Amino acid sequence: MTTSSMKETVLRTIIIAAIATTSIYSATAQNNPSARTKILPAAAEALGMVRWADIGNGNTILPGIDVINTMEFEGSGTGIEYHAAVGYNPAAMRVEITRTGPGGPQHSIQTVRDNYAWNESEVGAGLVAGKGTATSAPAALKERLLQLWTLPYGVVKAALAAGDKTNVSTENGATVITFPLSGPLAGTTMKATLDSKNLITKVETSPDNTETQYFDYADHGEVLTDIKSPGHIVQKQGGRTILDIRIKTWEANNPYLVFPVPKSVTAAR
Amino acid sequence: MSTRGVRAILAAIAAICLVPAIIVGQDSQQSRRTNNAPPKPSGITPRAADGHPDLTGVWNGFGDNLHGVPNQIANNGVAIESESSAHDLHSGLPIAVFPRNTTRGLNNEQSERAASLLRRVGSNRPIYKPEYWQMVKDLDKNANEEDPSNNCLPAGIPRAGIPSYIGQMPGYFIFIYPGEGGLIATQTMYRMIPINGKHTPLQDLDGTYTGESVARWDGDTLVVDSWGFTGNTWFDQIGGYFHSENMHVIEQFHRDGNTLTWTATVEDPDILLEPWTTTPRVALLNPRPDAILPESLPCSERDLGHIVTKEHH
Repeated sequence: MTTSSMKETVLRTIIIAAIATTSIYSATAQNNPSARTKILPAAAEALGMVRWADIGNGNTILPGIDVINTMEFEGSGTGIEYHAAVGYNPAAMRVEITRTGPGGPQHSIQTVRDNYAWNESEVGAGLVAGKGTATSAPAALKERLLQLWTLPYGVVKAALAAGDKTNVSTENGATVITFPLSGPLAGTTMKATLDSKNLITKVETSPDNTETQYFDYADHGEVLTDIKSPGHIVQKQGGRTILDIRIKTWEANNPYLVFPVPKSVTAAR
Repeated sequence: MSTRGVRAILAAIAAICLVPAIIVGQDSQQSRRTNNAPPKPSGITPRAADGHPDLTGVWNGFGDNLHGVPNQIANNGVAIESESSAHDLHSGLPIAVFPRNTTRGLNNEQSERAASLLRRVGSNRPIYKPEYWQMVKDLDKNANEEDPSNNCLPAGIPRAGIPSYIGQMPGYFIFIYPGEGGLIATQTMYRMIPINGKHTPLQDLDGTYTGESVARWDGDTLVVDSWGFTGNTWFDQIGGYFHSENMHVIEQFHRDGNTLTWTATVEDPDILLEPWTTTPRVALLNPRPDAILPESLPCSERDLGHIVTKEHH
């Protein structure tokens, strides 16, 4: 074999190998029902979302169901106190943020439910005459809903809801779940990275270019539930850190949290 | 006898021994249910002399423990239809279902924590005025200490749900709710409810656990209207759902063959933003002609003092 023909053979081999590698990668990155049916339940189980109980069940043997509906967590970081009330049925979130700065503390209550977003002067404002003011904030709808669905439990729920549009692949040795969001968040793509225990450690959304990282999973509730919640949340947008909080408590025992929409907000649409 | 012959005989014996086990196993599989659907009605609905449905009977005929978790999930408004389908009855939203990842039983701690979550996952929640949101949450979180039905007090209405016995007389009904021992230690309750009676003005009533009730027929549905309650009960099994002494409860009972469907609507404008209606519950008639309610054990709370965490189901 001449030197040139040897080079040609090597080059051809490299090209074939590259094409084969790309094909294999594409295959793993494409829709993979088998991986999806294994990974999504595994991610749900890792978080403690899948539960059943046989107390007084007689002859009834029920499957496990997703037990996450409402939860509440509090955290703090440099110059910020963060308190979130969360619900997935209905999809809702109320976030109280107190920022301390040179001008004194600034407090806000930002709420969202289904297709409504509004700001509250106090928790539950606008529901009872004379008790605070609720101001419609439709422009904030997508951003607030995204906060809800970016939480680890929201990611699993949304990935399950996306059905066969959810892809499972491997990137740098880590399992990655990619899926489109729907409803008011249609057009947004979510990408979640899992660790070796199938816990969600990173969530990236596009096109808003947000990345949220979750660390230090444990049961952080006063009422223990065996539901694992992050102990540290870091969120960046366009590479800039917009939230960095350490969790104080995360109550996952479906606490009493409600999100009625004030009439002034429904009327404003 | 050759080794092969011995093996053949042993295999035959083993096969014969396994046949009953297989049959029993099949029977067991067939009688198991994998859903928490309410019982389906069968048989005719008997009528009283006045033409209305006769609700008389012992209503504890359900195959499973009425207080078991599968039924509690249903009471909370979550329908598990099969091993692959579930939804929230109130909102209609689907709930993800997963196969069990083990056939091993859960230990007590795992069961209690799971039951606590399962009983609260439904979306049918009363909407309190905002100033009470934190209080309800705290009461539920601290239910081991705060739940008034612990320590052998009556559960009250409508928390007691469907009476285990209904006696339908020409002019009144008798409802009996047996007491329970164990951690959920409640006292036996009874109600005597006149038909087409009139309420005493609320301000003239001393609040009681069962309140003052009057009944009327709305077609084939019995409507029981109650007020005059003590404020010392919660109005559902979970959630810290306290109420004021101005609570007004409207219960509906509808018999269809051997089933009795019950709902209760709670009105309490002092603390609720709007009336709240329970998820319908269904009881099955005990078909035995000699069915009775045995005497409840004396209520004696022994566990409460030993509880050191906030976990409860």
